[in-house]
Amino acid sequence: MSIVIPPPPDFTTHEEEAAEFNSAASSRTWYHYLLIFAALLFGAVSVGFVGTIVWNSAPEWAHHTGTLLGGNGWQSPLGPFGGLAMIVGTLETSVIALVIAVVIGLGTSISIVFLIPRRFRNVVATFVELLAAVPSVVYGLWGFLVLAPWMLKTVIPWLNSWPFAKELFGNVGQEDGQSLLLASIVLAVMILPTFVAISREVISVVPNDLIEASLSLGATRWQVIREVVLPTAKIGLFGATFLALARATGETVAVALVAGGVANVQFHLLYPGTSIAAWIATEFGEAQGNEVAALMALGVLLMLVNFGLSLISRWLVSRQRKVLAVV
Amino acid sequence: MSGMIELEEPKAAEHQMRDEIRQISDKVRRRRQLRSTMMVALCAIALCITAVPLFLLLYQLFNRGLPVVLHPGFYTQLPQTPNLITPNATGGISNAIIGTLVLSLYASIMAIPVGVLVGIYLAESDSKLAASLRVIAQTMAGAPSILMGLFAFSFIIRDLHIGFSALAGSFALAVLMLPVIIISSEIAVRGVPNTLREAGLALGAKPHKVSMKIVLPAALTGIVTGIILAISRAIGETAPVLLVIGGGYINSWKPLDPVAAMPLSIYENAKSEWPSLRTEVWGIALVLVVFVFVLSLSARIWASRKQQAR
Amino acid sequence: MDQEFMAQVETKVTAPTETPERGASAMQLKNVAVSFHGRTAVRDCTFNITKNRVTSLIGPSGSGKTTLLRALNRLHDLTPGAKVAGQILLEGTDIYRGDITVTELRTRVGMVFQRPNPFPTMSIYENAVSGLRFNGVKKKALLDEAAETSLKSAALWDSVQNRLKVAASNLSGGEQQRLCIARALAMDPEVLLMDEPTSALDPIATLKIEELMTELKKRVTVIIVTHNMQQAARISDDCAFLLMGEDRAGELIEFDTTEKIFNNPIDPRTLDYTLGRFG
Repeated sequence: MSIVIPPPPDFTTHEEEAAEFNSAASSRTWYHYLLIFAALLFGAVSVGFVGTIVWNSAPEWAHHTGTLLGGNGWQSPLGPFGGLAMIVGTLETSVIALVIAVVIGLGTSISIVFLIPRRFRNVVATFVELLAAVPSVVYGLWGFLVLAPWMLKTVIPWLNSWPFAKELFGNVGQEDGQSLLLASIVLAVMILPTFVAISREVISVVPNDLIEASLSLGATRWQVIREVVLPTAKIGLFGATFLALARATGETVAVALVAGGVANVQFHLLYPGTSIAAWIATEFGEAQGNEVAALMALGVLLMLVNFGLSLISRWLVSRQRKVLAVV
Repeated sequence: MSGMIELEEPKAAEHQMRDEIRQISDKVRRRRQLRSTMMVALCAIALCITAVPLFLLLYQLFNRGLPVVLHPGFYTQLPQTPNLITPNATGGISNAIIGTLVLSLYASIMAIPVGVLVGIYLAESDSKLAASLRVIAQTMAGAPSILMGLFAFSFIIRDLHIGFSALAGSFALAVLMLPVIIISSEIAVRGVPNTLREAGLALGAKPHKVSMKIVLPAALTGIVTGIILAISRAIGETAPVLLVIGGGYINSWKPLDPVAAMPLSIYENAKSEWPSLRTEVWGIALVLVVFVFVLSLSARIWASRKQQAR
Repeated sequence: MDQEFMAQVETKVTAPTETPERGASAMQLKNVAVSFHGRTAVRDCTFNITKNRVTSLIGPSGSGKTTLLRALNRLHDLTPGAKVAGQILLEGTDIYRGDITVTELRTRVGMVFQRPNPFPTMSIYENAVSGLRFNGVKKKALLDEAAETSLKSAALWDSVQNRLKVAASNLSGGEQQRLCIARALAMDPEVLLMDEPTSALDPIATLKIEELMTELKKRVTVIIVTHNMQQAARISDDCAFLLMGEDRAGELIEFDTTEKIFNNPIDPRTLDYTLGRFG
């Protein structure tokens, strides 16, 4: 009588498992394909997004590249369509806004991280993020109906009392107070929450180790911030700056409401001007034929600038992560 | 010091640096301290400067908007254009409220399924396609919203000949929402601990079942938070809908009808020459801001509650 | 009030609390207690830290060793809700007295932390002289000299003298920690606080730092917190044993020479701990 040794139970299980794994691989396909389909759909949408705008602007690029990039003045409906005023206006408003926002925003982030008691920090952070969520048209409305009259009544007379005011700002304000300066101020207020939200994050992840190390070397509070925290967070702060700049250049309706909408290259900040995005918004409704192509071409410019800025900012933020990973 | 016994006190030369630092006069030290206090105070002032315009904005919004929104007719009536005979007529904004709801509803229908699936794909695949789609999503998330309007105009209105409509507007908003949903879904799915996945696989569950029955429920909070934030951003956008929705003056839920939208009404009314419309506009702005705040606050609170529960 | 206070300090200083053969005190702790938001973390700490000796603080987790150590250079100052009671005298002066500049105090009482934490944006050289720069030393020659001296004292000079401009993050963990020691030594402090300085290091790097400490005590008084019983026995001359009380606050159980603490302690709990019966 021979004893039949049953195969070890896990033997069959292994085989079953392998079989199941194979069948899993095949039954997994529909789910797998669904995911790939969605991914490809998104890819197609983004290619379509860039492609359509570029394609529709092609006629204008083909014939009037020079005018688009260097021409002053926009003659609806037949052209020429010069883009210089919008390019210069975008640069002026967003750079001024950025300078204001970065200086004030940096101080704000430092205060939030180092001065405000921990209990309130979350409240303040939530508040800042809520403000970043306020729709831009509301900022525009506020700038247009509240700040513009105030500029007209108070700020402009005061600025005009400065020496060299004429050379710098021009000596008259627009009738309703719209100007490039006002647009810059409103932009600064708008991008402040964005900048603060990111820079606060970047500053608050600077390891406490380093702060304590510098304190125990006899550094003052400001030295800790200036010589340890800010250098450590530097790259991430540049990232936040570029992101804020990207947001400022793309801001549309707020600028459309407060900049004045005049397509003329303007260096006097108290005169009205416009920006690329704002100009597309205000002109598109009435545009016909070539003008649509010209506005699309401005859109391509805006896209290039914006994509460039956000790629740089992503790269910087990821480098910041690496710097902190070393610590 | 006099009472102390000095044992093995090191020679003076060895402590040159100690002397050097001690020599730094109180004056230098005080100047350093003063500078520190001053700069920190400047930072505090910056905080105040940030807070002032933002508080001012909120105050004026409520102050001017509240009287407007307290009329029930504001929500139920269609707008009226003031004229010389009835300069104070404004009517309500029912069309804009419905328009905004319609736009975000259709946009959500288009964007949410695709966005969540792409997010899962990005989290679970390490292919080159996934890597490049991730960069694209991050770049698109910051793209100026006016470009979505240009896209919707070119594609829906010009190429597909659909016309100015809710569909065109919600398409623009869907393109806007997509990257936001993708990024937050990916983060949420990646946040699910691998041990959970492995536990499921070890029990013999098929990979897609693990993905749907274990990973998705665990990531749901993050995904939903991202969706709500995307919707709250889309609701407030003016630029993309400005170009394509046509600004309808009736209440309509049909996708092919032109519709109004709250941000667009704000933009139009602000520029109006009629004082009555310029007053009414604060009411619309208040309603819009409350919409957005409620959405993003509830997303935030819900997310933090769930986090604590874990 | 100040006068009264000073009088108190005076009496404390002149009273010979230490036995003569153990030398002068670098720091004296009198009834030191630290609390956060009213909850006591450590209390009843009274002992003298003798000059040019290594004093170790030992005890299980939660016994308040690190909390006590951080009180010695007022690192709790910026922690909201933290309060230090009792007296901590450095060369006879209470370091919590109103007219003491905390930044100056910290140049006299240096600190080395658990994890090596050189400043990642600074080079080796800049790290070494960072404390001097914080405190307004600008002369290049002086900084150079201090960098060399301190790196030599930290046994790091030979391996880094040719790459002083390299980022400090390129060093190994043990080297980074020795750079942190050099950074603190550059200011030529009277007391050096070390908070489990080897807990993040491998055994070889640990050994190097332990060797260093015996060298260091010729120039500076060392106070070290350690979890490692053998380490405390190997390197310290004096030893304070802390233990968590019933209300979860740490307290000083026993302070004596290391030899006594490990071989012939008065309190049975000390014996239990050093024999590894708990903790």
